[in-house]
Amino acid sequence: MYNFSLMEKDDIVLETKGLKKTFVTNKGKTQVEAVKGINLKVNKGKIFGFLGPNGAGKTTSLSMLTTLLVPTGGDATVVGFDLLKEPEKIREYIGYVSQSGGVDMSANAEDNLILQARLHGASGDVAKKRASELIKQFELSEFAERKTTSYSGGQKRRLDLALGMVHRPKLIFLDEPTTGLDPQSRAHFWEEIRRVKTAGVTIFLTTHYLDEADNLCDYLAIIDQGTIVAEGSSTQLKRQIGRESIIIGFKDMKDLEQAKSLLGKQSYILKLRSEENKLHLYVKDGEKLLVDVLHLLDNHAVEMHSIELAKPSLDDVFLEKTGRSLREEGS
Amino acid sequence: MKLVYDTHILLSRNLKKRFGEKIWFFLGMLQPALYLLLYMPLLKNVGNTSALPLERITQIFVPGMLIIMGISSLFVGFSFIPEIREGFITRLLVTPISRAAILLSFIITQVVVLFLQVIILLFIAFLLGLRSSFEAAFLSLILVALIGITMSSLSYTISIITRSEDALASIVNTLYLPIMLLSGIMLPISLAPDWLKSAARFNPFYYAVEASRALFLENYSAPVIAEGFGIMLLFAVISVWLVVKALRNMTS
Repeated sequence: MYNFSLMEKDDIVLETKGLKKTFVTNKGKTQVEAVKGINLKVNKGKIFGFLGPNGAGKTTSLSMLTTLLVPTGGDATVVGFDLLKEPEKIREYIGYVSQSGGVDMSANAEDNLILQARLHGASGDVAKKRASELIKQFELSEFAERKTTSYSGGQKRRLDLALGMVHRPKLIFLDEPTTGLDPQSRAHFWEEIRRVKTAGVTIFLTTHYLDEADNLCDYLAIIDQGTIVAEGSSTQLKRQIGRESIIIGFKDMKDLEQAKSLLGKQSYILKLRSEENKLHLYVKDGEKLLVDVLHLLDNHAVEMHSIELAKPSLDDVFLEKTGRSLREEGS
Repeated sequence: MKLVYDTHILLSRNLKKRFGEKIWFFLGMLQPALYLLLYMPLLKNVGNTSALPLERITQIFVPGMLIIMGISSLFVGFSFIPEIREGFITRLLVTPISRAAILLSFIITQVVVLFLQVIILLFIAFLLGLRSSFEAAFLSLILVALIGITMSSLSYTISIITRSEDALASIVNTLYLPIMLLSGIMLPISLAPDWLKSAARFNPFYYAVEASRALFLENYSAPVIAEGFGIMLLFAVISVWLVVKALRNMTS
């Protein structure tokens, strides 16, 4: 058993125990617990997603793990070094792409990459060589010699990622990597991130996009109000929910109300929720119950406009754990 | 050694940026140069008083202009705040280079720019008739460097704390005028009524102006030279300490 846990340890690039951050504001009068003691384990070579609404504590957690913020409590090991005792060591082996990116707007892509390499200790020649490698790898050559102020959102994001990869980090942190990108650039950027993973780099990203968490991440931790409310792979999390939803649309709100009171009496319905002109019924074994629901409403002459059966989504997981919908939080 | 190396890398980046903004480099010099060209001639016609002897007007007026250039280092924050906002400073903080190297490089950048501006201004003053010893010019340059360290550190401190150009602008505007008027930059304070003289004694830059003037007048035994250097050194140390603290608070 002991050996097993040792082997497992080699595979973990990041681990936190009770990591906590409390901000004291308003001249010491108010305390805000931004992160309330989180435990995380990130496995090597995976894309780890930190999903949660805005203000949940994602960026604060990331700032602590990237040595930018000193935690108020708890412990963490990042790429094998103690976060509190050896932050300088950690900086050598991690990459970090903040929400704003961190590009030097006064220089072009090439100069940005060279500077970053030199800050990581590369000599002038090595830095130059590394910069041209990255320009090729991230397809920046078209605009690498133009000033960064002229870049599109997607171009700038690719440069941000390249900057984080300059020193071949073991672990790269991406804070909301696709926020503000159009759908095409997002898809392209996901490909870029997957390619980084193929190169053996572990990726820790934060997101408030359900589809990003669903499609891109191997493992998820869902955070809300500074606490981890669920974790696992996307499939595991959805399976845990163990239920599907039947969504019925109505033209007339009177029909919706009638359906609500009829269905509310049925024991097979776990939960019932109305949203605009739609009624969401949470059930187990939805395919079979769909017929029952149809019969019941038809028999009582309730007029339906549409009906669909939905498999559980990550939003349902969030809803289940927090009582709120992530989608409603907006972008 | 690593500190020197890291500082040098960031310093060259900063200087490249500063000299890329040619307009700003010359705009920073424009005000003192215009004062030399368009204001100093007026002084020559004001009259020949004991505070403003005609043959020494350039020696009295130019030192004030040097000090004012040092004070205008307060403006460096305006290019630093966008770098904070764009995450560039944060990116530096996650690399292995030390915090000390980051601060040093940004402060030294301003000192280098100041050196060049002062030398150009002294050359213009030379063309307008300023004659001075090498010692006077060199020691004044050191004095301006100390002011540059003080004012740029203060500006970086305000930038880190407020992260807002508007806040920086109102603070700089509030400080700039009283500092200038109470330091005898435009006209020697010795012309002032007693109450104004007493008020000037609370302005640290008054001593810097007096020290630089004593140097250019080759009045090397004047105690105000030591006072000026001592006070400016003290303020430089305090303001560097403030910016170190501000950067540290950024990460707590």
